[in-house]
Amino acid sequence: MKKNLQWKVVVTLVVIGVCIFLAYPFNDQKIKRGLDLKGGIHLTLQVMTDDSINIETDQEIARLEELLKKNAITFQKVTKEGLGRIAIQGTLADQEGKTRDLFDEYTRDWEYSFTGDRANMSLKPLVVQALRDQSVSQAKETIDNRINGLGVSEPLIQRQGADKIIVELPGVDDPERVKELIKVTAVLEWKLVKAGPAADEATLLQATNGQVPEDALVVKGDPKRGQGGYYLVDKVAVVTGKDLRTIRRTQDEWRNPAVAFSLNSDGGARFEQVTAANVGKQIAIMLDNKVQSAPVVETRISRTQGGVIRGRFTPQEADDLVIILKAGALPAGIKYLEERTIGPALGADSVRQGLIAGLVAILAVMIFMIVFYKLAGINAVIALILNVVILFGALAYFKAALTLPGIAGIILSIGMAVDANVLIFERMKEEVAIGKGVISAVSQGFSRAFSAIFDSNLTTIISAVFLFQFGTGPIRGYAVTLTISLLANLFTAVFVSHLLFDLTVRKTAKKLSV
Amino acid sequence: MQLFKTPNIQFLKYKYVALAVTIAIVLAGVLNITVFKGLKLGVDFGEGTLLRIMVKTPTAEGQIRDLLQTVGLGKSQVQKIGNSGREFQIRALESNPTKSTQQDQLESHEALADRILAALYGNEGAAEKARGLVDLNAIDVKSLTSLLESAYPGSGPEAAQRILSYRTQTGIITDYKILDELGLKPEIQTFLKDKTYLGSLTVLSRETVGPQVGADLRRKAVQATIWSLIGMLIYIALRFKIENGVAAIFTLAQDVLITMSLYSFTNREINLPIIAGILTIVGFSINDTIVIFDRVRENQKLMRGKGLEDIMNASINQCLGRTIITSGTVFLTVGALFLFGGAVINDFAFLMLIGTIEGVYSTVYLSCPVVLWWQQLFGPQKTARR
Repeated sequence: MKKNLQWKVVVTLVVIGVCIFLAYPFNDQKIKRGLDLKGGIHLTLQVMTDDSINIETDQEIARLEELLKKNAITFQKVTKEGLGRIAIQGTLADQEGKTRDLFDEYTRDWEYSFTGDRANMSLKPLVVQALRDQSVSQAKETIDNRINGLGVSEPLIQRQGADKIIVELPGVDDPERVKELIKVTAVLEWKLVKAGPAADEATLLQATNGQVPEDALVVKGDPKRGQGGYYLVDKVAVVTGKDLRTIRRTQDEWRNPAVAFSLNSDGGARFEQVTAANVGKQIAIMLDNKVQSAPVVETRISRTQGGVIRGRFTPQEADDLVIILKAGALPAGIKYLEERTIGPALGADSVRQGLIAGLVAILAVMIFMIVFYKLAGINAVIALILNVVILFGALAYFKAALTLPGIAGIILSIGMAVDANVLIFERMKEEVAIGKGVISAVSQGFSRAFSAIFDSNLTTIISAVFLFQFGTGPIRGYAVTLTISLLANLFTAVFVSHLLFDLTVRKTAKKLSV
Repeated sequence: MQLFKTPNIQFLKYKYVALAVTIAIVLAGVLNITVFKGLKLGVDFGEGTLLRIMVKTPTAEGQIRDLLQTVGLGKSQVQKIGNSGREFQIRALESNPTKSTQQDQLESHEALADRILAALYGNEGAAEKARGLVDLNAIDVKSLTSLLESAYPGSGPEAAQRILSYRTQTGIITDYKILDELGLKPEIQTFLKDKTYLGSLTVLSRETVGPQVGADLRRKAVQATIWSLIGMLIYIALRFKIENGVAAIFTLAQDVLITMSLYSFTNREINLPIIAGILTIVGFSINDTIVIFDRVRENQKLMRGKGLEDIMNASINQCLGRTIITSGTVFLTVGALFLFGGAVINDFAFLMLIGTIEGVYSTVYLSCPVVLWWQQLFGPQKTARR
């Protein structure tokens, strides 16, 4: 065997070996299937980033009031003028200098201007940008944690654009539960109950002459928890979800599902203090402003004791509550922009039928090649099989999922692989027809056909690269398989197929079997 | 084996006839898309909700349509899938779409899908639900497992798995008899018959794309297609000549237009996978074009003194065997997909069947003539100046 043939054989064997190693054992973990073939849920959701600006604005108003009072600056009121805009009304003109100094020192995120007795403040654009960005990444993290709590295998959660998050959950079959789990803001609060429960607001407010006291607010019971009616609760929470130390599912004394919690030292101390002072009163446990339960404080609850949240939970609801409380609250609301649920049955069907069709197609092509090109056809078939092996090896290596459009890409590349061989073989025939010898016909066939094969494959690869760059989901899947198998094609159809000819065609052969 | 001796057909003699035909087809298509039928955008581009369902008892398409008509959802499109009479695809469309914010639209699409499902379920199962039974055709793995665990601790996971993987394979459970075939214990069978019922349908898939994402997907698909065409133009112009690049773009534009108009004529919906299909056709077509261009490039060195048209004719003839064999094999492949590939692949395969033939035609009768005309326009002047 010639020297250069020897290293060619080595290169070929190494490539095949590596690809088989990568794709082995040929199963679900190695070759991932996309949602369209496996079934699962695909959600695109938008983070309402305005929420975070609103929260920041509200907090700033509270801070400002305090700051102004502390520094003895007289003012009428601080009002919210819009998203990230605040006005301080009724400030005195002779205080302007002092106020400016104060703003310069304490409210660096805000721009301000004075007009008459009014100070206008607006959140700096860069800060707005940062807040929005932060709320999206926080939301992503929270969703990440919640999905992890669900125990879905290989979820995909990624940011897209400025305020979107894509969630892909292969194999999950109850979309409603997942959607609910992701969407709840999950702000958990314990608040003292001033009055209630009452059937309607009027009855609730009878004791206070129909007025809502300044330090209180009216909230509803969560009908899902069997808490009908209205409650009047303190505005300020005793403890919140942020004070939780541990949380787990448990059972209450009637063996119903419930959620047990314990508090950190800070929250525990407050809880102890408040419960000691309010024995006999109700304390409402609220999730996203809905009362889950409102137990009566029977005794002082020590800081390390913790407690139990009950509320006619089903086991799954109790589990979900634990998951979302562990994951923490969302920094902003969420809206769904796209929802796709592909049942496993549909995916399985597509795979089965696609597989049958693909096998029939490939077999038909192979038989045709062997019948038409005889021995040379066998070379082509070997090259084709290698092409598929390399493709699966690469898919496994890049952890790229196989999708329906991806299969379209494979078909195009198989077509082009066949074409490469046909070009070469037809060229050989032409060379034989003009009286060239066998060895010369083989090498001329390859070298003459090379430019066409190279150009057509490269053109398509270039287009696929652009498709990957600019395309979305399915189009990207198409671009990936196409690029991989066209690169494989250049290797198998030109390099390996040539090698096979060199290895099998004898110098003394009179006739070329094409 | 030889298909035939290299023929000598004067392909380009008919270039004006072909041009007329091409223009007629493209014009008809463009008119159809812009003025008459228009393009039917699928659910991917923000048009309603797509449901795929399987029913327990084989039903006619019309029956489902009538059922939807009675609840005022007659505008929804119902399409039978396969020949079992059990699988249907329903596009929920608003009967009188109201102007609302983008978010509301997504939710109203979803609500519409819920109404359709409610209409299809009808009163079926209401009595069972009232008695606290669950639908074995809709239950998820976890719930079924815990239901079974509650009565038969230890055997829940395995039995639930067995039942649901059967449901995954067939799409729907039609009869309790299969529980026996699945080898479940008699007491579990009785328990399930007692605690569950078999709903009349299962939802195979449910897809809703809001207008915002729909518009986004549409923009990106167009962008991706245009950039990839530009990429090809530049490469071909560099490797060959500028006129080859221009010709390739004409050809590709024709490929895209003709397949799109075909979709318009046959009332098929354009979805993201179809975009991949159109790009595949473009890929085949460009492959074909480059093979011929390559041969022309080579022949220009060998056949000095001959006119470009003669060289092109010779090149097309020399490559004819290859063209027929390649297109034939691809046609074979796609034909298999069309026949056996199932509903999801069918649309795509249909596109490819047409595309393989169209690609060859566009190479011979658009790519080559455009290069020819370009050279007639700009070629002689160049040499005259020198």
